[in-house]
Amino acid sequence: MQDEESLVRRAQKHNQEAFAELYERYFDKIYRYIVIRTGNTQEAEDMTQQVFLKVLRSISSFKWRGKPFSAWLFRIAHNQVVDYLRKKTKQPTVPFEQSLARSEDNPYLLAEQKLEMKQLFLAVGELTEAQREVISLRFTSELPIAEVAKVMGKSLGAVKALQHSAIVALRKKLTGAFEYEKA
Amino acid sequence: MKKHREFADILDKCLERLLVRGETIEACLKDYPEQADELKALLQTAIAAKEASVIEPRPEFKTRARYQFHSALRQLQAKKGFALFNWRSRWATAIISVLVLIFASTGTVAAASGSMPDEPLYPVKLATEEAWLKLTPSDVGKAEIYARLVDRRVKEIIYMANKGKAGQVEQPIGLLSTHLESIPGLVLVEGQPEAVMATPPPSVEAPPPPAPARGGGKADKGVLVKPDARTKLKALLVQNANRHPAALRAVLKRVPAKAKPVLLRAIHISETGYRKALSAIED
Repeated sequence: MQDEESLVRRAQKHNQEAFAELYERYFDKIYRYIVIRTGNTQEAEDMTQQVFLKVLRSISSFKWRGKPFSAWLFRIAHNQVVDYLRKKTKQPTVPFEQSLARSEDNPYLLAEQKLEMKQLFLAVGELTEAQREVISLRFTSELPIAEVAKVMGKSLGAVKALQHSAIVALRKKLTGAFEYEKA
Repeated sequence: MKKHREFADILDKCLERLLVRGETIEACLKDYPEQADELKALLQTAIAAKEASVIEPRPEFKTRARYQFHSALRQLQAKKGFALFNWRSRWATAIISVLVLIFASTGTVAAASGSMPDEPLYPVKLATEEAWLKLTPSDVGKAEIYARLVDRRVKEIIYMANKGKAGQVEQPIGLLSTHLESIPGLVLVEGQPEAVMATPPPSVEAPPPPAPARGGGKADKGVLVKPDARTKLKALLVQNANRHPAALRAVLKRVPAKAKPVLLRAIHISETGYRKALSAIED
């Protein structure tokens, strides 16, 4: 795996291979992040494509100033989601559960996974925006806590506290939904 | 408050051990016996959430998205060719379109038409082609121009490869790929065959625009309706689908070793590009 900084620098010079590698490295993570934030796989598909087209157009503006590339990339995805949610609130509200129904058309989800995923989506849908974001960045896109803090523009301590409150809230929503292993 | 912060820290440390290092919940609980009960419940929730959220994008979506991303990337690279003159704005395109019309058969534009990637007028040649495309209103007309531009790119690739300038083959290869990949989207239109641009763009070598209709066409403000435009385009694609890869393969034997990998890539792009274009026009 190539060093990310040199990869990004080459991509900034429109090197096709470097761009392709960054794309493959982050595509699934960005998609998952958007699915969890929106609860809608169809919208997530469109938005994921938009995110990478924006990256293509604006990568030259990215500067290495202590922030990793992933933080910049997820910030673009975050803005995309915020725009979508803002527009959605202006339209007649589609319940999270209803938008999720479209997600079930996704044949790529395993049958036994669907139930748990639906429960997770519903539970996550009841969290606050910030809690939902920390869950999606940390557990779905698997970013280290320091990168989550940079994406969210918060201190490490604040994100740890938010992560704690998000898991506590999620547990409350999911109680009885998941079968936890017995110790 | 302090206790709360300490617990959030411990929780994060355990999550790091579980998520990154692959340790078990039990291993972590052993290190924090006082917080074990609360910690256990939350770690289980976090792991369950992680496992339930492994969502794979649909393969067909991934394929489509990757294709669109690479097309956009190639278009961006192609635009770099115009950077020298900073002719990216709409005004610049409009101005060059007018210039193309006025000076088509004489002067710089004509001189540029035969230029190669290592020559100073090459960006003018590319800008002229861009203007032709912009002046062509119909999709099938644009597809035909792309098909003819592919012919130019193949000639350029062969010329540069013969000179052993592997680095300068990259730009025409990128454009070759963009031209071929643009065709399916333009011909995959349901319904009747389209009208094509009838007023020929200046006859500056290839890419000559679609020829005027021979009977059956209807003149209207300079636009002729040409019912067999798709058939003509298809014939052109069929002809070049054989001719272009063969021409590239023929030159492969005699070019310097360093130019061989780029030529092989050009052959691959040409073959797959024509396959997709023909499949689209036959649908």
